[in-house]
Amino acid sequence: MARTGSSKSKIMLMALVPLLIWVFAFEIIPVFQMVVMSFQNSDGLGFTLDQYYKGLTTSLYLEAMKNSIVISINSSVAAMIIALFVAYSITRFTTGIRDQLLMVSNMMTNFAGVPLAFAYMILMGNNGALLLLLERMGVEAAGSFDLYSQTGVTQLYIYYQTPLAILLVYPIFYGIRTEWKEAASLLGASTWKFWRYIGIPVLLPGLLGTFSLLIANALGAYATAYALTGISFNLLTIRIAALVSGDIFPNFQLGSALAVILAIIMIFSLVVNELMLRWSRRRGT
Amino acid sequence: MSYVKIEGVSKYFGSTKVLNNISLSIEEGEFITLLGPSGCGKSTLLRAIAGLNDLSSGDIYVGDKKITHLPSKDREVGMVFQSYALFPNLNVFQNIAFGLKMEKMDKEQYTVKVEEMVELIDLKGKENMYPGQLSGGQQQRVALARALIKKPKILLLDEPLSALDAQIRRTLRNEIRLIQRKLNMTTIFVTHDQEEALTISDRIFVMNHGDIEQEGGPRSIYTSPETEFVARFIGNYNVLKKSELETTGARLVSENELFAIRPEAISIFPLAKEGHNMDETINIICEAEVVMSTVLGNVMRFDMDVKGIGITVDALNESKIHWIKNGMTVQIAIPIEECKGLRIPS
Ligand SMILES: Nc1ncnc2c1ncn2[C@@H]1O[C@H](COP(=O)(O)OP(=O)(O)OP(=O)(O)O)[C@@H](O)[C@H]1O
Ligand SMILES: [Mg+2]
Repeated sequence: MARTGSSKSKIMLMALVPLLIWVFAFEIIPVFQMVVMSFQNSDGLGFTLDQYYKGLTTSLYLEAMKNSIVISINSSVAAMIIALFVAYSITRFTTGIRDQLLMVSNMMTNFAGVPLAFAYMILMGNNGALLLLLERMGVEAAGSFDLYSQTGVTQLYIYYQTPLAILLVYPIFYGIRTEWKEAASLLGASTWKFWRYIGIPVLLPGLLGTFSLLIANALGAYATAYALTGISFNLLTIRIAALVSGDIFPNFQLGSALAVILAIIMIFSLVVNELMLRWSRRRGT
Repeated sequence: MSYVKIEGVSKYFGSTKVLNNISLSIEEGEFITLLGPSGCGKSTLLRAIAGLNDLSSGDIYVGDKKITHLPSKDREVGMVFQSYALFPNLNVFQNIAFGLKMEKMDKEQYTVKVEEMVELIDLKGKENMYPGQLSGGQQQRVALARALIKKPKILLLDEPLSALDAQIRRTLRNEIRLIQRKLNMTTIFVTHDQEEALTISDRIFVMNHGDIEQEGGPRSIYTSPETEFVARFIGNYNVLKKSELETTGARLVSENELFAIRPEAISIFPLAKEGHNMDETINIICEAEVVMSTVLGNVMRFDMDVKGIGITVDALNESKIHWIKNGMTVQIAIPIEECKGLRIPS
């Protein structure tokens, strides 16, 4: 019996082999390669910290890091706030309407990158249809809107982050039970006090998790901003792309170092999130 | 002077009538039970008293004050839910203190009161535990303390014991009753379990389809059901039509069309001529075939066939009834005064 048991588990392990090969070939080796390259000089030789030094001192790259972080945080915060209200109201609809709204949200989550950038250009570019319409209607401010500025790019980010945030936040609201609200109101708590003392503390761990996912999502994004502004809007992902695929001076080693830095920023945001999670759960469970 | 008064209360959900012009009144310090099958409107009535759902018509008064349109938080009503509904992010102490904290009471002041409550529900030393770390019975005690700490005018309990297992149900049931007596708390208890209702209540309101079919003390509800529904719901009454009862040989002088007979009021004798010495003027004596017998613990239940009419007889499970076997023909005696005439509800 023991023999058949162990041979059975061996067969099971065999089934894992394709997955392991896949992970190894497409995840581990490239990452390893990238890390190795980031410590080489520009000719792909030796061991040096030069690339990191360059990455962390050149103002172009420093600004790219700052922009990436700022746009990630801003768009995530905005998407989160919108999603809180939208997701909560979705939970109040009947199942039919709710499913339709979620389907739309699901589709919009995948509406990002180049098509989204073009849609925005048509609506809100220099001769954008929506802006012209608003101007005709006498909205002066519409004329000064610049899609190709930081504000414009941030808006695009908010646009594609919001549906994702809704999809992630909406199930969290189902964690709030109606009886808690009822019990709280019978104990003299207003709606505001219920959310202050019970609702938000209960939701917080889930919301923090969502927030860190949004940050990572924005930090790694590339196509949307690139399609809109080319390489003129200074983001870390765009700089990396320019270094590894740039026609004039490709520099894989510096690109790798920047990619490692980006990965570290992401890991850092995940760690911060994990710490906040622990803090918010400190009382519960 | 009644303390809680419910006057002509009706409730529709869409076009379905869930409460049908219900009126009842409760004395201060009384423990009453709303008893009825699932879906009969017990929770709807209870939640209307708490202000958790509104009414289509009618009024509710507590101590002469009309509360029909008051928001929940101003009603001074405490409630315990079937699912405990404790706040998961607060520990035992904080859960119990929640109501006082909402009143902006100082921490020193409410700490004393919370400690008193913790003692009352016998959870000393567990103040810092979270709901997830407590058993169902302990959670329900915390919920009880949380509802009682503000000294509400009425305590509402919506099937508070249904989620617990049999042993804990019985102990907690007794504890709730003791605490209620100690605090002289006017209490409305909802259950669909007739045994629970009979053991815990001062008075029972039996509900069916949004109506109150009968009210009364546990004893009178059990021994004198007034309608077929109450007879069937509260005990395992035999409910017979007048014509059926007459085929057994009864000569009844009564207006009623329907009669209820408690299964334990009927006695069983051997078929032999001298098998019994019952007075035939006050008993209906007839032959019956034993169709099936079931052991219910201390009671044996016999399903009998009397000229095509099914009658259930309960007898104490003692050795002197062990001669009764399935398929046998026996004699049964039904005391005429135990044939309770039933009213047909309008
Ligand atoms: N919000 C609602 N909308 C529509 N119908 C409802 C609503 N709440 C309750 N009902 C209906 O009203 C009737 C009474 O419900 P209620 O919850 O009062 O029953 P109950 O006696 O408490 O039953 P249970 O023992 O199952 O808790 C049921 O038929 C139920 O379907
Ligand atoms: Mg109910």
